[in-house]
Amino acid sequence: MSSLYLRRRITNWLAMGLSTLATLIGLAFLAWILWETLRQGISALHLSLFTKITANGADGGLANAMVGSLIINFIGIAIATPIGVMAGMWLAEYANRTKLGESIRFLNDILLSAPSIVMGLFVYTIIVLPSTAITNGSTTFSGFAGGVALALIALPVIVRTTDEMLRLVPSTLREAALSLGVPQWKLTMQILIRAARSGIITGVLLALARISGETAPLLFTAFGNNYMALNPIDKMSSLPQIIYQYANDPGADLHAMAWAGAFVVTMFVLLLSLASRLLFSRNKVSHD
Amino acid sequence: MTDSALATNPAQAAAASAVAPKLTVRDLHFYYNGFHALKGIAMDIPEKKVTAIIGPSGCGKSTLLRIFNRIYAIYPKLEAKGEITLDGENILDPRYSMNRLRSKVGMVFQKPVPFPMTIFENVAYGIRHHEKLSKADMSDRVEKALRSAALWDEVKDKLKNNALGLSGGQQQRLCIARAIALKPEVLLLDEPTSALDPIATSRIEQLVEELKSEFTIVIVTHNMQQAARVSDLTAFMYMGELIEFDVTEKIFTKPGKKQTEDYITGRFG
Repeated sequence: MSSLYLRRRITNWLAMGLSTLATLIGLAFLAWILWETLRQGISALHLSLFTKITANGADGGLANAMVGSLIINFIGIAIATPIGVMAGMWLAEYANRTKLGESIRFLNDILLSAPSIVMGLFVYTIIVLPSTAITNGSTTFSGFAGGVALALIALPVIVRTTDEMLRLVPSTLREAALSLGVPQWKLTMQILIRAARSGIITGVLLALARISGETAPLLFTAFGNNYMALNPIDKMSSLPQIIYQYANDPGADLHAMAWAGAFVVTMFVLLLSLASRLLFSRNKVSHD
Repeated sequence: MTDSALATNPAQAAAASAVAPKLTVRDLHFYYNGFHALKGIAMDIPEKKVTAIIGPSGCGKSTLLRIFNRIYAIYPKLEAKGEITLDGENILDPRYSMNRLRSKVGMVFQKPVPFPMTIFENVAYGIRHHEKLSKADMSDRVEKALRSAALWDEVKDKLKNNALGLSGGQQQRLCIARAIALKPEVLLLDEPTSALDPIATSRIEQLVEELKSEFTIVIVTHNMQQAARVSDLTAFMYMGELIEFDVTEKIFTKPGKKQTEDYITGRFG
């Protein structure tokens, strides 16, 4: 008897010990990354980063990259949100439990894990090359193309969260609305979307956080620009792309600026994640 | 025992209550993905009376109720065969418009499910779908519905608040207000108090008593005492069949069938 219990207790301690260790290892790296970004980033942080452009190199700032990131991310989210939310609605409300719906859900999951550089190459082929041909080379790479590439990355995230959030809404709410004679489209657009609203917004914020750090898809699309560009048909710089470029440079000054850029991006993503958590926990609606 | 031996004379109960039938059910069968869940139900539900449907879990009482407004049809692979007439028209006929049916037959569910909107909007939402009213008329209509549901005094100062902030019992009365705001002729209540505490339950029961002067009410309940308290007629169902349907007093004092007696006295179920 007691030997059986002893063995179980040892197994229990072993399993708990190993899983705790695994958690600690994972967290330690995360803390290390954050600490390193914080330490290197803050020491390089300077007001001129926000006022000067990258054309001045080590004496300049990152203003054009920050503005470029904002514009490209905005384009990406502006394209992905309506399409993603509508597609998620279709999956959850019209195609749920159908073969077609299941297949599309599966394809969306594949898209979700597609390498982001593939999105960049794809957009290079469908937008950058044709626009170069049409305009005889006056418009080649552009902020818009970068935005489309990021939209392709954000899209499956938004589809997935909208779909899941709508499917979490209890079916009794649907029955209650339908029993008033309300048609399906009104039910979806006016009631279910409200019930799932905070979850859907959270999905959009998480998608924004996801694309804010993307570098690879921008290399062949937005390309980069050492000057301030506000027109989306121009080549445009972005923070991740500048971090990539400066980190590859031998100059220590530029390394420091890359760290500062990394710090800004990390803070932005952190704030987005916090905002989405806050929103989701505050507005979580319980129907039970 | 054969089906015919069990069959209740559908006119008998209505005759006993001496009121014209509002809903008549004839030879109703229901299939869940092939499973035969209702087997030849026949009954007459009288106008402006409360008809309770009782029976053990899985006997088909909720299934029957959910056919009266065809809400079952939102799920695939469910099939109803037979005839249910509302004022003489067959509501199972696909040509009977869903919009019309659901404006005539309202439903309240087991769990209170207010819409994620204000209290006012919860009631106004359904009305707005069926009718175009001026702002003042809409306010009157909402107030009247909330008064009928005995909720007005508790919410009149917070009509603009989110309905999800109400208590469970208040939410359920809001759902009743939402249903009766459409001025239906029939009100279906599917175990409306099973998620509520005893005080909220007694308020709903009181409300049912008041509402029967205006509506034909069909209530499914797990609670036999509740059926005895609120209903004029009681139907006892078992394994997809209607075993007995008669005036409530008779069902609970001298039931005609052995199975009914066994259930009422707690020998099974």
